[in-house]
Amino acid sequence: MAFNLTRRKFLQTASLAAAAVPLSKVVSAETGITKAPLDAMGTHGDQTVVGGICEMCFWRCQLVGKVRDGRLMKLEGNPKSIDNGAAICARGNAGVKLLYDPDRLKYPLKNVGKRGAPTWKRISWQEALDTCGDKLNQVVDKYGAHGISVFPHGASAKYPMHYFERTVGTHNVSEASFFQCRGVRDTAYIATTGKAPGEKVDMPNTKVMFFIGTHIGENVHVSHVKQYIQGLQNGAKLIVADPRFSASAAKADIWVQIKPGTDTAYMLAIMNYLVQNDKYDHDFIENHSYGFEEFSEAIKEWTLEKAAAECDIPAAQIKEVADLLAANAPNVAIHPGRHVTWHGNDFQRQRALACLTGLLGAYYVKGGWVPAKGPKVKGFSWKNHDHGTDYNLNYNQEEEALRHPYAPPGTPSELIRDCAISGKPYPIKGCVVWGQNPMQTIPNQEKMKQVFMQMDFVMCVDIMPTDATLWADILLPEASYLERYDYIKKGTQWNLAETHQQYIAPRMPLVDPMFERKDQVYITNELAKRMGHASEIPVKSLEEMTEKSLASAGLSIAQIKAEDGIHIQPGKDPYSMPEDFEVQLYNDDLADAGFPGAPTYIAVPDVPKGFARLLYGRAPVHTFNRSQNNVWLHNAMPVNPVWVNNEVAGKLGLMDGDTVSVVNSEGVASGTTTTVKVTPGIRKDCVYMYHGYGSTNPALSVGKDQGIDDQKLITILTADPESGCSGMRNNFVKLVKNGKVLDMPA
Amino acid sequence: MTTTDTSENISSVYRFLAQCMEYPDQSWMSDNFFLALDNLLDNLGGQTEKESIHKALAGPSKYTDSIEDLQVEYTRLFINARPHVVAPPYGSVYIDKSLQGKFAGDTLAFYREKGFAMDDSADLPDHLIHELEFLSLLAADNDQEGEELFLKKFFRPWFRQFHQRVVAESQHPYFQVVSQLIDFFTKEEDNDGFQLNPA
Ligand code: SF4
Repeated sequence: MAFNLTRRKFLQTASLAAAAVPLSKVVSAETGITKAPLDAMGTHGDQTVVGGICEMCFWRCQLVGKVRDGRLMKLEGNPKSIDNGAAICARGNAGVKLLYDPDRLKYPLKNVGKRGAPTWKRISWQEALDTCGDKLNQVVDKYGAHGISVFPHGASAKYPMHYFERTVGTHNVSEASFFQCRGVRDTAYIATTGKAPGEKVDMPNTKVMFFIGTHIGENVHVSHVKQYIQGLQNGAKLIVADPRFSASAAKADIWVQIKPGTDTAYMLAIMNYLVQNDKYDHDFIENHSYGFEEFSEAIKEWTLEKAAAECDIPAAQIKEVADLLAANAPNVAIHPGRHVTWHGNDFQRQRALACLTGLLGAYYVKGGWVPAKGPKVKGFSWKNHDHGTDYNLNYNQEEEALRHPYAPPGTPSELIRDCAISGKPYPIKGCVVWGQNPMQTIPNQEKMKQVFMQMDFVMCVDIMPTDATLWADILLPEASYLERYDYIKKGTQWNLAETHQQYIAPRMPLVDPMFERKDQVYITNELAKRMGHASEIPVKSLEEMTEKSLASAGLSIAQIKAEDGIHIQPGKDPYSMPEDFEVQLYNDDLADAGFPGAPTYIAVPDVPKGFARLLYGRAPVHTFNRSQNNVWLHNAMPVNPVWVNNEVAGKLGLMDGDTVSVVNSEGVASGTTTTVKVTPGIRKDCVYMYHGYGSTNPALSVGKDQGIDDQKLITILTADPESGCSGMRNNFVKLVKNGKVLDMPA
Repeated sequence: MTTTDTSENISSVYRFLAQCMEYPDQSWMSDNFFLALDNLLDNLGGQTEKESIHKALAGPSKYTDSIEDLQVEYTRLFINARPHVVAPPYGSVYIDKSLQGKFAGDTLAFYREKGFAMDDSADLPDHLIHELEFLSLLAADNDQEGEELFLKKFFRPWFRQFHQRVVAESQHPYFQVVSQLIDFFTKEEDNDGFQLNPA
């Protein structure tokens, strides 16, 4: 295509005038650029903006932003922080690239194509909100509030989640951070000690750290890493049970190369040895525990030899670990872990961790489990209402009891998905996905697709396109953590040995949101207005919410800004045990509900012949698929090599760096490829890869099809009986090279 | 024609081209708009281009009407899309591989240096629309030197890639023709550069 004039010729002729004059009549009056007073160059707005709270992961380090002309140039740790200090991790740094990722969502979009294969059309917020309001109202009118399911994640999803749960009144809310991550840890510890454990182990001041699967170093959370490194520097011994030579195993004094799924047996043997050999903390057990006798009786079968055979590790090593712990008790840090939804027997393992901590007397003591005493700040959200149990899928109406009595808040994902697909006991026809990517958080993607496909309406709110947003009818662009007020981070100085201090640091925007991105309070309130809940709106804006919360601690946004983003106040000594603190070694309520009263080992299915168990974990420079499209982080770690034992690789003829795909025992193929990492640092019966690769959304121009999505290969579903949380490590795979499926040698 | 007339006319052309790149909407995409576009194309000998647009507009709509067809295509080309957005209309994306890169900052600094500022409601400084608006303002000021410098430093370095993508991938002739027009009015010619007053 070309015009039959040169431009110069055109500009010379009278044609220009003939063409140009009518043009000025059809343009709008406003332009984005206007005359302004002349200004000197180079003086514009270089500033350090305080109040950033990182959310490249959930740890929420405190940030400052170097901003020029409204453009964020660089992120740094807030030097005033007594938590992460001036340090942030690679992901924290790369937040700039998330903020300005060209693939980010910018305007409300309507899907004028198909679910799963969308064609997007930009629409106005008015149209988007009206559509969402109408469609959700239709679901509520036809099926009831319980006809709406919600899959939320992250700080921005709390407010809308509360709206749908408390105000609209659906029980069908499932947070991945609970049901596919830490929920079972929290409920198991609550059943044992009355408290969710967090990761509150006093590592800097401990004598021994004991990790089951925890892989700090690859799992990077700044102040937690600081605590761990300080502990090692102070001479703490490190025990790591992991089938893989993880970053932590590499620093361990004792690496226990345990068979996956057998950790509870391992800990039962340690505890039985401590009891049998009178190496437990008598004082603690007498004064702060319940059910010692039943507990001792229940675990007595777990001799060192029996556990050694079950866990495929030497009995002498179990004894060595038990002795090391006993010799240093109570100053031992039994790490509760975080992502612990492994095998569907996880409640018992987490109970075992909590009981082991008790036997060693390692609660509220230097180097043990110590919940530092942080400041109190009130939250503001939608009012709670009781919505009964009639439509609670976790409530068994016939037996008048909960199916999973130790479920974390919300409803187990599988109960929601089964109900949505079968329509029984009732239809679920509306779906709100807010910051979660259930395609890559909940096992079995085909099932998730079925759930989406049978919905009358699906809306997604996110900052980026994900594999879940492909299924939206309406897709709304959210302001990121750098562009909004929000979460108030609070805590204490990172090392409990230092002067006791507390801090309060609200998230405040470092830059304005670009395009038409909106925050969660705006979006939720607009939905509420359209759904007949305007009178219950608790706050008008995120800023107001932040002001109100701060006011509860006698603070204000202005004051926090004047204090460089972080308020610091004197703290309290954390090393004092509440008088009523008690460890339920044997739990009567559990026994009454038909579960084992004492921690019990439940074996998981063995690896079928010709396969290897698929294990996964964290990459130090990625937060799962959420960061896969980030240019800096992608460059740092573009794919997730699959770890294969060197002897296994030798038999299969695999070389380090070979390209392979993966297929699981149910015939599901990875679809994408990755490279092989040949190493003696993994057991022969498993393979391992970093979680959070292989996104399929083509709108991710950097991350699409990079590496393998382990989640796609997790199709065998197991649910932890006590909690309903997913078991995600009971899947078995083979590698495929040059189209040939390789039988894994035993 | 005097220099001033020519400059004013060029200014109108730039401003019109900026308008053409706005999100399609009934509010401005009127019959008169298309008449003005036709007239411009006629004066350039762009019969084929004119016809291709009219044929597409008159043909069966894929969505509710021809404007919605344009909206869906605009979203796919310039905003968010599956498989992925074709041609983000921001210079930084091509120069810095990011939104709001240094290039955007430098572009803003150039606006300021020339005595202009971005409105609060404006998009990013290096958006194609704003760059064209800015060229329009410079032309209205008869600042030929500034115009040429801006084209050389801030417009052409990325527009060429943008243009190639739009021409290769647009499924609606409107966007191909508009991009072609922008290219026509902004490209360097021979060794002479852009001549506002060729006399
Ligand atoms: S650990 Fe890294 S990603 Fe997580 S909050 Fe801190 S800086 Fe951000």
